[in-house]
Amino acid sequence: MRFLVILLASVFMMGAACAEDVALDNPNEEARAQALMRELRCVACENEPISQSSAPIAEDMRARVRVMIEGGASDTEVRNWFEDRYGEFVLFRPKSDSLSGWVLWGTPFALLVFGGLIGLAVARSRKASVEPVRPEDI
Amino acid sequence: MIELGHLAAFLSLALALAQGIYGLMGQRRIAGWAAMAAFGLMLISFLTLVMAFVRSDFSVALVAQHSHTLKPMLYKISGAWGNHEGSMALWCLVTLGFGAAGAVWMKTGREKLEARTLGIQGLLAVGAMSYLLFASSPFLRLDPAPFQGAGLNPLLQDPALSFHPPMLYLGYVGYSFVFALAAAGMMESRIDAVWAREARRWSLAAFVPLTIGIALGSYWAYYELGWGGWWFWDPVENASLMPWLIGAALLHSVIVTEKREGFSAWTALLAVLAFLFSIMGAFLVRSGVLTSVHAFAVDPERGAILLFGLVLYGGFALILFALRAYKLSGGKPWVLLSREGALMANNIVLIVATLTVLLGTLFPLMAEAAGKTISVGEPYFRLTFTPMLAALLVILPVVQAWAWGKADLSNWMKWAAGGIALVLVFMALGVGIWSISLGAAFGLALGVWLVFGALYELSRRAVTVKRVFKMPPRVWGMTLAHVGLGLFVIGAVVETTGRYETTVALAEGGTGTAAGWTLTLDEVRAIEGPNWYADRAVLTAVKGGTKAVLAPMKRYYPAAQMPTTETAIHKTGTGDLYMALGEQRIVDGEPRWVFRVYFNPLIDLVYFGVILMAIGGGFCLWPRKRTKTA
Repeated sequence: MRFLVILLASVFMMGAACAEDVALDNPNEEARAQALMRELRCVACENEPISQSSAPIAEDMRARVRVMIEGGASDTEVRNWFEDRYGEFVLFRPKSDSLSGWVLWGTPFALLVFGGLIGLAVARSRKASVEPVRPEDI
Repeated sequence: MIELGHLAAFLSLALALAQGIYGLMGQRRIAGWAAMAAFGLMLISFLTLVMAFVRSDFSVALVAQHSHTLKPMLYKISGAWGNHEGSMALWCLVTLGFGAAGAVWMKTGREKLEARTLGIQGLLAVGAMSYLLFASSPFLRLDPAPFQGAGLNPLLQDPALSFHPPMLYLGYVGYSFVFALAAAGMMESRIDAVWAREARRWSLAAFVPLTIGIALGSYWAYYELGWGGWWFWDPVENASLMPWLIGAALLHSVIVTEKREGFSAWTALLAVLAFLFSIMGAFLVRSGVLTSVHAFAVDPERGAILLFGLVLYGGFALILFALRAYKLSGGKPWVLLSREGALMANNIVLIVATLTVLLGTLFPLMAEAAGKTISVGEPYFRLTFTPMLAALLVILPVVQAWAWGKADLSNWMKWAAGGIALVLVFMALGVGIWSISLGAAFGLALGVWLVFGALYELSRRAVTVKRVFKMPPRVWGMTLAHVGLGLFVIGAVVETTGRYETTVALAEGGTGTAAGWTLTLDEVRAIEGPNWYADRAVLTAVKGGTKAVLAPMKRYYPAAQMPTTETAIHKTGTGDLYMALGEQRIVDGEPRWVFRVYFNPLIDLVYFGVILMAIGGGFCLWPRKRTKTA
């Protein structure tokens, strides 16, 4: 059984490695694949998505994305496939389904609301007799 | 020679200390002379360092580590600041330079304010100089001197990158002077119109070079790193973006302080923060706490010293702020829908945007401390930062006509109708003709809205065509900056949503297609440069009636044992056909060269827009004709 898995896996990896790093025939699929390549992180580089990296592993990962897209996988399935193998690290679009994800994605908007409320409070406390003055230069 | 520079630097340190002490004692004249002398000595010191690089004097350790006799002269000179020690020397030079410039050009009529500003600037210089001389000295000798140097990092051997660090430092360090002004103003609890007029000039003097520096860095990354893009949300890029955003907020807030004596505490806080974010940027880049493709001189120990400086300056300024903020006046009254209210909205959004960039940059570090490794990249910023700024830009054309105190809202229907019509037109064009996404259509409408809005505001103020050219430089500055912003938005939207990228593998003499172009690989030849050798491909690209020859290269620098990509770009007028040469590979039994091919539509508009913003800032620096207002 284990042998079979290894055999299958290696055949499969060979398939991925041999797949040419060239565009898919269907332009819509290719566009989706490229969008995904821009948000998957190359695991061998400093801080680059696989779309930009010239590392061999990035090439394999690009090929993998194209194979999966061609096989009818959804964007989420591709992301999950990579996450299962390389961890959340590989996703440049961090997930939002944990507490830390909520903090990361929610904080900017919470700050905006908070800032807006402070702004309103500041403006409200300044209602006196107001004389409009036209700006003469800026 | 270098010993002379070393000595001059020590003397300069002593004079900077004198500048600090006399300045804080309120001796404007003495502090001013000390500032100029300290700058002069540091200039001599820096020039001896540059001369050592020019002469390839390998008995100087820094030159031996970072230079090479075969390097072109430009890169010998820029090599002087293309390393940690040399760039710190530049940092010191610019700090002292702003002190000297302040001694000459500050004109507030308030001796104490100016003296203290020079004093604080002097102390900031003492900090930087001590760090230079005692923790990262560029003046050390090497014995025995090697026959050849180790060479400069090849990625840095590029014209744009020769001027990128000096520009960036003029910006970062320029904010040190704004910091000093803010601290001096807070010490006497007077952040008023006179203070603001001075602070505004210096914030512009920092903002303009910072903008140019960021644009140069981005352009360098575009054509040198061979990725085809212009902004990657890389931590190092973010580190320069944060002070820029704070600086942009400051430029708008200080107007309220100048014209209405309002927002004074807030303006002072921003003035402090701009410099603190600059140091933090230096810390993030230099300490190596973040992984980046841009970081070149990484050393954790030096990072610790920078962090110490950050805490020290930050602590000082923020405590001062806490003690004095309540004493600063509130200015003339205003209601929410007014020029003040609009500028407040500008500030809220820019600050939240800065904090968003900070969060996205530091979050992976925090997660790592908690035992999780995650990445935060472009998709995060696209979904948080971008909509926030877009919302701010939507209101810009409307609110820039608003009056101080209270806006005249009688024509709001006209504005709303114009805006909605514009969006609908672009939606129709986008979906019907260009087949782009709705988001992209909205982005384009926004860019056009900004450009028209800025020009409309100019015409509204000028009333007649004749008067357009007689408008004050500041109005021109505002117009150019906002037009630049609009063009930037158009370029950014079109480039990001319309970029085409692909890979083609060509045999010599073979033909392929990409982005509608037919590419023929004429030859690949090995060539040699002054300090590198390379594989150089020559391709003919044909599309319709146009024909272009592109010659991308893969260089190898033996001194540094490092390869670089030299991309080839053909400008079509509507975009860049961009090619990078990859590896040679065997496909179907024959050797083929792999090329990454991009078509980047309207990318020049991105840079043109940013440079226009810098030029607009320059116009605002133009001294005004004195009118009867005192």
